[in-house]
Amino acid sequence: MSEQTRTSFKSVLTLSVPVAMGYIPLSAVFGFLFVQAGAPWWLAMVCSVIVYAGAAQFMMVPMLAAGLPVATIAVATLVVNLRHMFYGLSLLHKLPRNPWARWYLVFALTDETYSVLTTLPAHTPAWQMVSVALLNQGWWLLGTLLGALIGAQAQVPLVGLDFALAALFAVLAVEQWRSAHDARPLWVALLSYGAAYALMPQQALLMAIGLSVLAATLLPAPPCAQTHT
Amino acid sequence: MIDTPSALWAMLAMAAVTFGLRAVPFLAARWLRHHPLVQRLGRFLPLAIMTLLLVHTLVGSARDNPHGPWAELAAAALAMVLQWFKRQPLLSILAGTALYVVLRNN
Repeated sequence: MSEQTRTSFKSVLTLSVPVAMGYIPLSAVFGFLFVQAGAPWWLAMVCSVIVYAGAAQFMMVPMLAAGLPVATIAVATLVVNLRHMFYGLSLLHKLPRNPWARWYLVFALTDETYSVLTTLPAHTPAWQMVSVALLNQGWWLLGTLLGALIGAQAQVPLVGLDFALAALFAVLAVEQWRSAHDARPLWVALLSYGAAYALMPQQALLMAIGLSVLAATLLPAPPCAQTHT
Repeated sequence: MIDTPSALWAMLAMAAVTFGLRAVPFLAARWLRHHPLVQRLGRFLPLAIMTLLLVHTLVGSARDNPHGPWAELAAAALAMVLQWFKRQPLLSILAGTALYVVLRNN
């Protein structure tokens, strides 16, 4: 029994280490930028504890610094995190029934934790899933703290560090592209953005997402996906 | 300067929105799984939204950059090529950001 527990603990750690390699530097950049924008270090930690959504946290920094209203920030969060709505669909039967474990995992369903959870075999014990998710959020918090402490010391920030967000989106887009069976979402997105930017540059993202949803609804289903029951 | 009370309100709203989105399938499982439109959106939107977010962020950076969009395009291309061939998110993000910082600070 203890031997088995040790093996599964090792597998939890093995699954979480690649996430740590990505999370610590990325959340450190978030903590750094947030503190440089004038926030206290503990506020960065609060954000990583309660929001825990990488891209949205990055996006929040310039919006708060510009004094934008809460409603605008909430709508932007909705847009950036919309994809998370579809993550749970493939995990419905996988997550544990215990309400604490289940709802913590739902809360912690970031891109990376989602991809780790989907690779776990069926009937993985609840504690193992929760441990992976907790470890991942732990790495995120550790990086935030490091970045916030460095940001509080540093005097002259380099221009362009916030490009980490664009690089993160580039990585996520490449991974979506790799697993896609259909190139149309890519073209629809590019055309929608072009049209939206030409019409309303201030609301280009929101309008382009609206156009993409419309296109997804109206376009015929791709041949390989006609498996509706 | 960031005002702490309004930052806290914004974070609470962001936390509620994010948790709500992640919880939707678990609250509306039956309806969602049997709805073909939801399944189609679930297949179509992730790639479309990631592409939009990438383009939107690049356009935002390029508008703040007086020297035009070349630094943004080069750094994004580097991150994407590295990610496609090496599959190491950390390497791709660090290399893309480093190239961008170097290009912008010279």
